[in-house]
Amino acid sequence: MAGIYVHVPFCKSKCTYCDFASYPREISKVESYFACLYREIEGRGRSLQGKVFDTVYIGGGTPSFVESKFILGVIRQIRKFFTLSENPEITIEINPGTVDEQKIKDYKSVGINRFSIGLQSGYDEQLKKLNRIHTAKDFLLTCNLLKGENISADILIGLHDQTAEQVKKTVDLAIAGGVSHLSVYALTPEVGTPIYTDYLNGELLSEDEVADIYDEVRAYLKEKGFYRYEVSNFAKTGFESKHNLNYWQRGEYIGVGVSASSFIDGRRFTNTFSIDEYNNAIIYNKTPEVASDIIEGEDACFEYVMLGLRTAKGISTKKYRELFGEDFDKKYSDVLNKKGRFLDYDGDNLKIKDEYLYVQNDIIMAFMK
Amino acid sequence: MAVDKKNIRNFCIVAHIDHGKSTLADRLMEKTGQVSERDMEEQLLDSMDLERERGITIKLTPVRMFYKAKDGIEYTFNLIDTPGHVDFTYEVSRSLKACEGAILIVDATQGVQAQTLANAYLAIDNDLEIMPVINKMDLASANPEEAAMELEDILGIDASDAPRISAKTGLNVEDVLEQIVKKIPAPSGDGNAPLKALIFDSYYDNFKGVICFVRIKDGTVKKGTKIKTFMSDRQFDVTEVGVFSPKMTETDSLSAGEVGYIVASIKSIEEVEVGDTITDVNNPAKEPLSGYKKALPMVFSGVFPLDGSKFNDLKDALLKLKLNDASLSIEPDNSTALGFGFRCGFLGLLHMDVIQERIEREFDLDIITTAPSVSYLVHKTDGTVLTVTNPSRLPQTTEIEYMEEPVIKASIFTPPEYVGPIMELCQYKRGVYKDMVYLDKTRVEMKYILPLNEIVYDFFDSLKSRTKGYASFDYELAGYERSSLVKLDMLLNGEVCDALSIIVHKDKAYERGRQIAEKLKDVIPRQMFEIPIQATVGGKIIARETVKAFRKDVLAKCYGGDVTRKKKLLEKQKEGKKKMRSIGTVEIPSEAFISILKTDNNN
Repeated sequence: MAGIYVHVPFCKSKCTYCDFASYPREISKVESYFACLYREIEGRGRSLQGKVFDTVYIGGGTPSFVESKFILGVIRQIRKFFTLSENPEITIEINPGTVDEQKIKDYKSVGINRFSIGLQSGYDEQLKKLNRIHTAKDFLLTCNLLKGENISADILIGLHDQTAEQVKKTVDLAIAGGVSHLSVYALTPEVGTPIYTDYLNGELLSEDEVADIYDEVRAYLKEKGFYRYEVSNFAKTGFESKHNLNYWQRGEYIGVGVSASSFIDGRRFTNTFSIDEYNNAIIYNKTPEVASDIIEGEDACFEYVMLGLRTAKGISTKKYRELFGEDFDKKYSDVLNKKGRFLDYDGDNLKIKDEYLYVQNDIIMAFMK
Repeated sequence: MAVDKKNIRNFCIVAHIDHGKSTLADRLMEKTGQVSERDMEEQLLDSMDLERERGITIKLTPVRMFYKAKDGIEYTFNLIDTPGHVDFTYEVSRSLKACEGAILIVDATQGVQAQTLANAYLAIDNDLEIMPVINKMDLASANPEEAAMELEDILGIDASDAPRISAKTGLNVEDVLEQIVKKIPAPSGDGNAPLKALIFDSYYDNFKGVICFVRIKDGTVKKGTKIKTFMSDRQFDVTEVGVFSPKMTETDSLSAGEVGYIVASIKSIEEVEVGDTITDVNNPAKEPLSGYKKALPMVFSGVFPLDGSKFNDLKDALLKLKLNDASLSIEPDNSTALGFGFRCGFLGLLHMDVIQERIEREFDLDIITTAPSVSYLVHKTDGTVLTVTNPSRLPQTTEIEYMEEPVIKASIFTPPEYVGPIMELCQYKRGVYKDMVYLDKTRVEMKYILPLNEIVYDFFDSLKSRTKGYASFDYELAGYERSSLVKLDMLLNGEVCDALSIIVHKDKAYERGRQIAEKLKDVIPRQMFEIPIQATVGGKIIARETVKAFRKDVLAKCYGGDVTRKKKLLEKQKEGKKKMRSIGTVEIPSEAFISILKTDNNN
């Protein structure tokens, strides 16, 4: 498994919790940005000849905010310079209110087959507080345009005065829209975002309250046929995001565009977060990377465990042995002993017990040498 | 060439803490040209970082100065600085033995305080000429008449001609120099008699071995002299003698009346005891000088390396500190909770604090210290008596006939308006009222007998907060008294944590148990499971708190770029975990062990 991530750093307006590389005021650079992006795709593709990629994920920002010709260009370029497997999963993130029938048609015409919609909340007053550009109704309208498609929606928990009931109603709304996949994220107030101030003032839900809602929503989703396959991700069987699973299985991926991260041949690297810096680098044939780390030895082992234990399925210790040439049981006998009561282990498959998936840091940390 | 001893003045400066001892010492050195104003580093004598930061003197340091007096003669001054804190009373008494006179500083804004009195009495006991000085005249609130009157009324010292100075600005410091010449007697003693040199301090130098700080009472010592001490028969060849100016400066010889140092390739500080007398092997003195009684540690605490594998580093650090600090006692200890470490004995709480800080700073070691304890006498049913300094070593209740605890004679100076609150505090601390004297309109001296274990437990802080910092306090050990004591154990998740056990008075066990449980609840972070905290006495639960399990610690998202970030986050958390100790399945931050001390500041 290997994936391609494409970053689109544009959106209509910034949400209060967003700390991603997305610059609504720099939309004028859209033409030059995509010109550079195409060039990076070409360069990366040429250097990765021989690797087969199974998924493409266009994220942002709001990729659906830019004209579809840019997205079509991206896919065309990827198909030209990368080898994709037979039925690649190609996802695009879209926001209600930024797509019309034509855009969807365009996306589908180049093989985009998965649509991840930013819903966040089914309550307009909450959406407004987050500075979202749409209403709950807009979400349904967007879903209407995507009838029969593989749709996912993002939902946030931990908003101001949010109740479990409200989140469940939001889930209902998503299901009504026809989603087969849901990402339920606990809001993380990042330093520098407007919502961080609310957090400092104690206006957001506490971790305990978030955990309570999460538990309730998890049970509710189970009832509705969505099973949890990762900490924050729920899907009907067969509708898991292949692209994301690849991250947690420590598969390879190449990221192109501003702020995109990659993991190729044991090296993790990340592009610059600035559009200008990115464009300049590409134009002058320099690398847009600003960080690069070779991951080897113990770091690699730990990553495998850390990422794999995020998933409900966990990891295979047999595969661990194949990958790293060490006996898992021997190496971690003390951890298996000390943290045993939080784990399910049959001698090969090791996973965190269902009820402890949300408090996994403490467990994972024990595996850090 | 020997200095004519009638031109020598050996003196020390004593004062209550913060009354300006070190500042005056600096000013004297500056005025005698010992150090130029430009080279002057604030408070030269306090050379340890710690001393300078805290504004206290820990080690005593002698210094030699030359002063050309108005009579035209050049005098040699030996100033022996003394520590100002009550913990170090013992060191003060050591330096007093090396002097003929003491400058007693009184702050013109505060008057006589507890340690002014304690130190003045020490000086009087040692037959020193006391020369009062009234300091801080630069302050608007200075009231020198009042201070002078207090000196007379309380101590019977005539302060009518006491120099009124400001050590800070240098005002009238010349008067101090002149009075040293006039008032402090020249040393007696005979330069040709057999050598008698009093060791008043020593420290270990990596290159030269032990350096003995001495006051020569009789005779002369120089390079090559074969010496021995009275307490051991070992002989050493003197390799260097010298004086402090203030750095060690080699001289040809030291003779009667002088203060200086002797180096004699002495390998270990244990080989020369402070208070012992050095004499000449070839021309020995018959009698030693009267020494001092050994300083006994009063406060004991477990010191453990945070990282168990650093035991040997901690051992080295403690041994090195002990080289220069004979009053520190160390013995190996082990705790089920904290592993291998040491039980250390200190002169008092400040001494304990200072040692702990020096281990962390000078040796870069993270340590865990347990709540301080005192030394109890346990009379067992089989008739034997056991000294217990570690609560976890207390025998079973059935084996104990009765116990005794150390008590102190406390003297508290306070403005009259705080008498009520102080009485309340002393009563609460199981004190027995002895006496109360109205020294003048503004000052009362209160005397109490108090159990030492109540003093090590936040007495200073409580006294300060109840009297807005106006009361001062001094104490001396006053023997042992029978007492109803019990061992209070803390259980975490059902397991006894021996490092948290304390010995308390029976009547206080319930209250302390509750306070410690509450405190632990605050300092122990939530973990993956609920942690019951219980306080027990003799197996009976007397208090209970619960640390709830945490519900969420996961990073909500973890995609491409988040991998490195998440790993860093976990690394940071793991680093934090290293500051924790596992007691069974429970993780406890290292500060928990000492924080249980600080539980009732409101009382």
